[in-house]
Amino acid sequence: MIPQLLKSQLCWRAFRCRSEVMRRYHRELMAVISQDISQSKLIALDLEMTGLNPNHDQILSIGLIPIENNLLLLDKAEQKLIKVDGGVGQSAAIHGILDKHLQDAIDIEEAISWFLEKTLGKVLVAHHAPLDINFLQNAMSKTVGEPVKLCAIDTLAVERRRLLRKHDVLKEGSLRLGACRTRYGLPVYAAHNALVDALACGELLLAQTAAIGQGESLTVAELLAIK
Amino acid sequence: MRSGAFEVRDDDGELIDRLGEGDYFGFLSLLSGEKVCNRVQILEDGLVYHLDPDTFNYLRGENRHFDRFFNRAFAKRLRHQGRFKAKELATTSRVSTLMSKHPLVIDSSSTVGEAAQQMRLVRVSSVLVIDNHQLVGILTDRDLRNRVLAEGLDGHLPVHQAMTTRPKTLTSSSLVFEAMLLMSEHSINHLPIVDEGKPIGIITSTDILRGQSSQPLLLISEIERQDTVESLIRVSKQIPLLLQNLISADARAEEIGRVLTSVTDALTRRLIMLNQQLLGEAPMAFCWLAFGSQGRQDQAACSGQDNGLLLAHAPDEAAEAYFEALSKSVCAGLDLCGYVYCPGEIMAQNPQWRLTLKQWQHKFETWVNTPEPKALMHASIFFDMRPVYGTRSLFNDLQDTVLANTKGNALINDIARVYALSAGIKEVNTAKRIRQLMELNIINRKDGLNLADAHEFIAHMRLSNQGYQDKHSQEITNYLKPQHLSSLVRHQLKDAFKVVHDAQSGIKLKFTRSF
Repeated sequence: MIPQLLKSQLCWRAFRCRSEVMRRYHRELMAVISQDISQSKLIALDLEMTGLNPNHDQILSIGLIPIENNLLLLDKAEQKLIKVDGGVGQSAAIHGILDKHLQDAIDIEEAISWFLEKTLGKVLVAHHAPLDINFLQNAMSKTVGEPVKLCAIDTLAVERRRLLRKHDVLKEGSLRLGACRTRYGLPVYAAHNALVDALACGELLLAQTAAIGQGESLTVAELLAIK
Repeated sequence: MRSGAFEVRDDDGELIDRLGEGDYFGFLSLLSGEKVCNRVQILEDGLVYHLDPDTFNYLRGENRHFDRFFNRAFAKRLRHQGRFKAKELATTSRVSTLMSKHPLVIDSSSTVGEAAQQMRLVRVSSVLVIDNHQLVGILTDRDLRNRVLAEGLDGHLPVHQAMTTRPKTLTSSSLVFEAMLLMSEHSINHLPIVDEGKPIGIITSTDILRGQSSQPLLLISEIERQDTVESLIRVSKQIPLLLQNLISADARAEEIGRVLTSVTDALTRRLIMLNQQLLGEAPMAFCWLAFGSQGRQDQAACSGQDNGLLLAHAPDEAAEAYFEALSKSVCAGLDLCGYVYCPGEIMAQNPQWRLTLKQWQHKFETWVNTPEPKALMHASIFFDMRPVYGTRSLFNDLQDTVLANTKGNALINDIARVYALSAGIKEVNTAKRIRQLMELNIINRKDGLNLADAHEFIAHMRLSNQGYQDKHSQEITNYLKPQHLSSLVRHQLKDAFKVVHDAQSGIKLKFTRSF
């Protein structure tokens, strides 16, 4: 039931779109949504922002790593730094990006069209996806000139569901990216770099789907439905 | 591999390598271009970085270090794999690596008698027949049997009438595989290797078998074929390889020890025989004894030699000189073959261990009955003795007296002796020793009483058994038939042995190095 719902949702969005770019974007995604996860094209992403409020704060950096046939395509990984109004402020303490690093950065408009091009026909994957999606939707709406709705596989939600099956109460911090990875024996990476976090998230998804699947097929829509 | 744990196995499921973080697999096929035949089994999920062939080759071309790294890994894996896969040899190596060079050749005009003498001299089973330096035939043991003896002919028959004419041959660059094929096709065991009509070598089925792996039997037969000490030393260089093969074949430690000891025995025997050929017949019956690890048949790599000589009776001056010369050269030969001189000088070349039967018997009696500072070491070395070469009846006589002295309560005697020696107690009698040990608080009262009771009980059982044997006019021995005991006595005996066993463990803990 839910996969069909997702599909009609996408269909509706594509229908409502005024901009040609977004219509194509949604249509391309419709084809992927009912595929098996191991055969579909995904793209893991992570953002670094000046803060956590999508309405005030801005995107500083986007990291993308495509996943095809259960393989992370490291040679197609990309990262962009984005110019911001004002400075990076206190957030530099988290992500380590300083104002001077942004001298060669691109505009948000350019970044969004790059993002749309790279993710066309691919399902987004992120850890704690709602936050990243909100930032992207806001930035896109401004660029495209109409409200945009995106969907993404959330590795945090997947992990929460898996954990709640075994435990009643989750410990604080047990859903952080690093903590989730440790559960699957994945190595420790330095956090808060958009590209490394995207890679870390992509690896986590592969480990999760391998653990969930156990040989059974798992569709993109089933994963998208986990909130 | 970034993380996880994998195993690499070949077609047959044989383990080739275990992989963990920082290891790599699949490079073999990338380097050689051959199809992948090894399989990787996942023991623990992991992250793997995948390099496609184009990128891999690009990196090899661009970066010398990268290329060298994987070439080394390749060589290492091959060495690793070689240990498991001796059979691969047949398909890759040439006959020139396995053939015997300088084969025995004889002119076709010679007689079969001459040929047989030559074959006996060189210890081979075939001879190549030449005419004007060209190979014309081969004469084998089988030909001598079938075409000479069975036909009722004598040794004056010319070789060319008995030989196999125009034998199958190979060139030195042929593959071992081809040699195997030819041999099995024509059911022959000897293949002359010929380059431009001239025989340059011969390969036999034994050579091929030997090439398959360093088998102990073949090594021993090779040892027995050597005619000089130098060639024996050369053959002994294969022993480490044999050990390697045994280890990689997962043989049990006990089996390895026995195999290595058989090789040592063969080597010792051959050395004695070779030296006897130089020195002449021995002036009296003698027996070469092996002690320690060789005696126990649990030799390992780089074992030393522990040996001695048992003589039938007291030697005169000439005999003394003979045995000194013999034992010196045999010990020296063993040393050169990798069995280093015994640091404790327990070797036949030491006149102290070149004794007559009477002297040996006396030695053992002394060790068993009186505490001597070196008695412990001697006990651990000498009580494990075995005859290697010579008159076995001499050895049997010696062993009988030793066993007569040590059977029965030997274990408790040993235990008491060990403690007594360490505490400097002069007492010789075991029961008294135990009492003194308790008084000096060297063993606790409970253990002491147990041991004394066990000692008494076992001694009693032995005596009553011997009384029984005497009464029924049986041979008097130290052996007790369990079925002659009531179940109550059997339980008591078991308990007594348990006490002994516990005390032995205690000694092991206390004197690990000396017991």
